[in-house]
Amino acid sequence: MAEPTDAVLTLENFSLRFAPGRNLVDDVSFSVAAGETLCIVGESGCGKSVTSLALMGLLPTPPADIVSGRATFEGRDLFQLFDSAMSDLRGSRISIIFQEPMTSLNPAFTVGNQLTETVLRHRKVDKAEAGRLALDMLRKVRIPAPEKRMSDYPHQLSGGMRQRVMIAMALVNEPKLLIADEPTTALDVTIQAQILSLIGALQEETGTAVIMITHDLGVVAETADKVAVMYAGSVVESGPAEAIFEDPQHPYTIGLMGAIPSLGRRSAKLATIAGTVPAIEAMPAGCRFAPRCPFAEPRCAEAPPLVPVGGKDDHRAACWFAPLEAHFSEVA
Amino acid sequence: MAELILRRVLVAIPTIIIVSMLVFALQKLLPGDPALLIAGEERDPKVVEFIREKYHLNDPVPVQYGYWVMNVLTGDFGISLRTDTPVTTLVAQKLPVTIQLAVMAMIIALLVGVPAGILSAVRKGTVTDYVANVVALSGLSIPNFWLGILLIFLVSVQLGWLPASGYVPPSEDLWLSIETMLMPAFVLGTALAATLMRHTRSAMIGILRSDYIRTARAKGLRQNKVVYKHALRNALVPIVTLMTLLFGELLGGAVLTEQIFTIPGFGKLVVDAVFTRDYQVVQGIVLCTAIGFIVMNLFADILYILINPRLRGA
Repeated sequence: MAEPTDAVLTLENFSLRFAPGRNLVDDVSFSVAAGETLCIVGESGCGKSVTSLALMGLLPTPPADIVSGRATFEGRDLFQLFDSAMSDLRGSRISIIFQEPMTSLNPAFTVGNQLTETVLRHRKVDKAEAGRLALDMLRKVRIPAPEKRMSDYPHQLSGGMRQRVMIAMALVNEPKLLIADEPTTALDVTIQAQILSLIGALQEETGTAVIMITHDLGVVAETADKVAVMYAGSVVESGPAEAIFEDPQHPYTIGLMGAIPSLGRRSAKLATIAGTVPAIEAMPAGCRFAPRCPFAEPRCAEAPPLVPVGGKDDHRAACWFAPLEAHFSEVA
Repeated sequence: MAELILRRVLVAIPTIIIVSMLVFALQKLLPGDPALLIAGEERDPKVVEFIREKYHLNDPVPVQYGYWVMNVLTGDFGISLRTDTPVTTLVAQKLPVTIQLAVMAMIIALLVGVPAGILSAVRKGTVTDYVANVVALSGLSIPNFWLGILLIFLVSVQLGWLPASGYVPPSEDLWLSIETMLMPAFVLGTALAATLMRHTRSAMIGILRSDYIRTARAKGLRQNKVVYKHALRNALVPIVTLMTLLFGELLGGAVLTEQIFTIPGFGKLVVDAVFTRDYQVVQGIVLCTAIGFIVMNLFADILYILINPRLRGA
């Protein structure tokens, strides 16, 4: 992939497996630049969360086995770093927000303690200064009565508040890269929008690169500059957000778009993608989507490469039929 | 928080009352007429009647219970039939011995069991974990009396490092007292350490998998901070529960260990009392042990409140 030089993180040819045999994540590449939001979309189990944990160095190896790949961040390959070097980056240069705000904070310590601790780990400041920075950050995530919240325990906060605390914790050391792993999935719809716009506002302020992992195309539409659609461990389509939404090229992406309920189309039955994701042992050798694909034909037994499909810059799809327009005329 | 602790204390009181009723009922359920028992050889009806009057045996049972409670509250548990000493005196003699043994055994158990449990949880699946588990299983399987006899043979008879048996009050010679108690405490402590280790291990394993531990790692915290601050603090609840239960058990006396090391503790006292049907003594000890248990539970409840902030609001 030709990468812009301002890429904060470039992941190339990343493959991972948990047991000998097929790769759970297969040959995934993407990059994200400062101030940019890359959305990784896909249904649960497609390998998006595992990829984010691997980037953070939070995936225990073994059992996980990184078969191949480079993750270039600030000139270094994250996969080659020693544990201690990686932990110096975590929470300081790269941060992550998780899906489960209810359980992601330690119930035994106050919000202030957990926030201040993050500052003290990575910055040479005294306790008082760390406390001030933590309190400032709580203000930035727009938590009401931040002074009082500092001495609150997590159980005294709602899910949305806890996720705000998690965001504060992730951003308090001004990281270059923020990975948000389904940050709004566990929250009420109204809170979801607030959290997304908060992440967007803080990103604008600091120029942080964001990798947003989600299964929700609504979130993608709201936040993404770039999109990578993952299916069963590989990227099936990637490109600028408008291109993906306006002109999806991979049958799986098209299927995903069709599966969004819309108020306008109340008459029709909700479209679904036939079948289910095959288990890793049963994964076909060629295109992994072929068993569920309405267009599948014999040559799909060979894996299609992720190739440019023309149109908008760097819009790619991994399908023998892409670009679809050419084939539609054939079919029609 | 003070109010919460006070509430726990108040809840303990009815429990103590119920226990005292059961202990009193124990005496009433025994076969035979206590008056005849006290009268002994003399079966003079006048004497028996006098005894009945004196001990309120003609009164209804609830009234008798009332008299008994009054006596207990003033520290009068009756008189040992066998030795003619007040039960209070006997208990006052033996209880410090048992408490010293229990405290020392518990310290050994904590010093060994908790670190071993943490280590084997952190290194789960490695050789360290395997070895710790085998040692713990041996600790659980080896009978106290066997280990005790073996230690006496090795440490006292062969090496002459520690006294083989007996008891020296700490007030007399603190160092000698600890030395004498060290082996029995070790024998009791290792068995408890094995139990503590297993529970610490399983609690830590569960917690190390939790989301907030992942968060702690994601913040870049070092392993020591993750394990000893974030994980251990949450693992303390099951550890405290087990510790207080085990301690309560220790207060009931450790018959075999006391027998082997000829320690004049509760265990020996209660066995002797049961065999000689010295019911007053049995009653006194049962009541003391039960209250000990309740106090330990109360202590655990208070510790929970200190450990777990979620309980404070309630």
